[in-house]
Amino acid sequence: MDQFRRIQTGKTGDIHMVLFKDKKILDDTVLDEIKQEINTLLGKCTGPDVLLDFGNVEFMSSAMLGLLGQLHRKIVTGHGRLKMCNIRPEIFQVFKLTNLDKLFSIHKDAPTALATFT
Amino acid sequence: MATTSPGTAAGVDVLVAEDSKIQARMLVKRLTDAGHAVRWAENGADALVMARDRRPDIIISDIEMPVMTGYEFCKAVKTDPALRSVPLILMSTLSDPIDIIRGLDAGADNYVTKPYEPDYLLGRMRSLLDSPLGDAAEQATLEVAVAGQKFNVQAGRQQVLNLLISTFENAVAKNQELIAANQELSIARDRLQQNNAELSQLNDEISRRNAQMVRDLEAAAKVQRSLLPADDAALAAAEIAWRYVPCQKLAGDFLNVFPLDDEHAGLFVVDVSGHGVPSSLMAVTVGRFLTPKVSEQSLLVRQGPDGRVAIATPAEVATQLNRLFQADEFSGLYFTMLYGVLHLPTGRLDYVSSGHPALLRVPAAGDVEFHGAEGFPIGFVPDVEYAQKTLQLIPGDRIYLYSDGVTEAMDKDQEPLGEQALAECIGGSRARPLEETVAALLETVEQWCQPAGPLDDVSILGLEWRPT
Repeated sequence: MDQFRRIQTGKTGDIHMVLFKDKKILDDTVLDEIKQEINTLLGKCTGPDVLLDFGNVEFMSSAMLGLLGQLHRKIVTGHGRLKMCNIRPEIFQVFKLTNLDKLFSIHKDAPTALATFT
Repeated sequence: MATTSPGTAAGVDVLVAEDSKIQARMLVKRLTDAGHAVRWAENGADALVMARDRRPDIIISDIEMPVMTGYEFCKAVKTDPALRSVPLILMSTLSDPIDIIRGLDAGADNYVTKPYEPDYLLGRMRSLLDSPLGDAAEQATLEVAVAGQKFNVQAGRQQVLNLLISTFENAVAKNQELIAANQELSIARDRLQQNNAELSQLNDEISRRNAQMVRDLEAAAKVQRSLLPADDAALAAAEIAWRYVPCQKLAGDFLNVFPLDDEHAGLFVVDVSGHGVPSSLMAVTVGRFLTPKVSEQSLLVRQGPDGRVAIATPAEVATQLNRLFQADEFSGLYFTMLYGVLHLPTGRLDYVSSGHPALLRVPAAGDVEFHGAEGFPIGFVPDVEYAQKTLQLIPGDRIYLYSDGVTEAMDKDQEPLGEQALAECIGGSRARPLEETVAALLETVEQWCQPAGPLDDVSILGLEWRPT
């Protein structure tokens, strides 16, 4: 079950649920590991539906946005959908400052986000 | 049981007094293997009973034992007329010269130090059995001073001689062991010196490479500094002031302000995500496109059909950059930018923001205002058009561009400095010269981040419009 160090994964129907385990996503090592683990998880899928849960994340560097941007592009190119949830206000501020709250599909919590996939 | 014949070492009756079962077992085995009959007692008292029960040919006794020590046992044997001529070997660690005196005083015939070589012990036994002490060996009282203490020792001459020779032999054996150990040490020391030399060679290599890396980094930092305003940077109708503090040697931030033609000035702050070498390389690459020199590369100015310089609008610049720098090519690196073109005669500022913090306007009189523009960071979304905004300055207005290293500067509790504090700092210093307000803002940021210091690059660019 716990095959990854940085993310906890699960599935609801065809939707991949990814929960970030870290409280702080700040240094490059953590970022690289998250990237690798998500790539491993989604490796062979084309256009998967993915929900990212930020419930544990209290601090996040702007470099994480770059990773989310890449993931977003990859998923959207394959006609999949990427959604995010449980983003606390301090973290949401990072999205808002860069206008990316308008690019990403951001929801209050997991049930609300899951409901929008149908 | 083997019967004894005095003068031969083989097949004699040996009594061993030793409280350690393991050591006793080893000693008994050695002696049995050498053909001797062995009895063993756990302490001096038991050994004495056994000796009186049947007189042994020779006794080997440990010193530290419960109930009755080796010394006491030895003394009891040597004062027993029936046993006094039985040779007795004490086994001791001989850690103190007084041990010898105690041994003499107790009447011991011989010392063997622990740990002992079995052959050495058997040799001692043989020589003692070969030169038996007479029952009536002459006794003399000797006064001996050792370590400031006086001892009266009663011992026979032969006994004294035997004991001293045995201790001397022991000392020689120990000395030889020491010499051997010393030789081993000396070999080990040579090897260590050799290893040290190799290590120091490796260290030299590392510091040489490190120095090379530092030189490379400094060269790169120099290239990056070429992206910043020149020392003599000045505009006809505006004063400028700026601060740029990279959090590492190489940064993802850069800023500049320069004339585009006689009437226009361009100004920007760019913040590439991350910091260090990858971000810095990206910054330098982006910087080449943001040059006021008319060239193939410049996105800011180009040669117009009429031979005059044509200035690209901020929206065109952002849209072009976004086309050139899609994030995949730089493994997730993207950048935010606020770029403005100021018309120097009229104070009209056209600007665009690609996910960058809002610019700050500080009127000569009145409150501080934030002016943001919507737009995604460069590299996020392909083929997006950037919307441009316009801000009309009035003479004496100041504007400030900055990177999020200012507003997102974290204190020790991870609390960001925020826009509010920025506005208060800049608004509060309005009466001071522009240069001082920029310096004061940098100081505020650095104070806020104590004791760790800023963890992101900090860029501040201030401009005061003063039309002539």
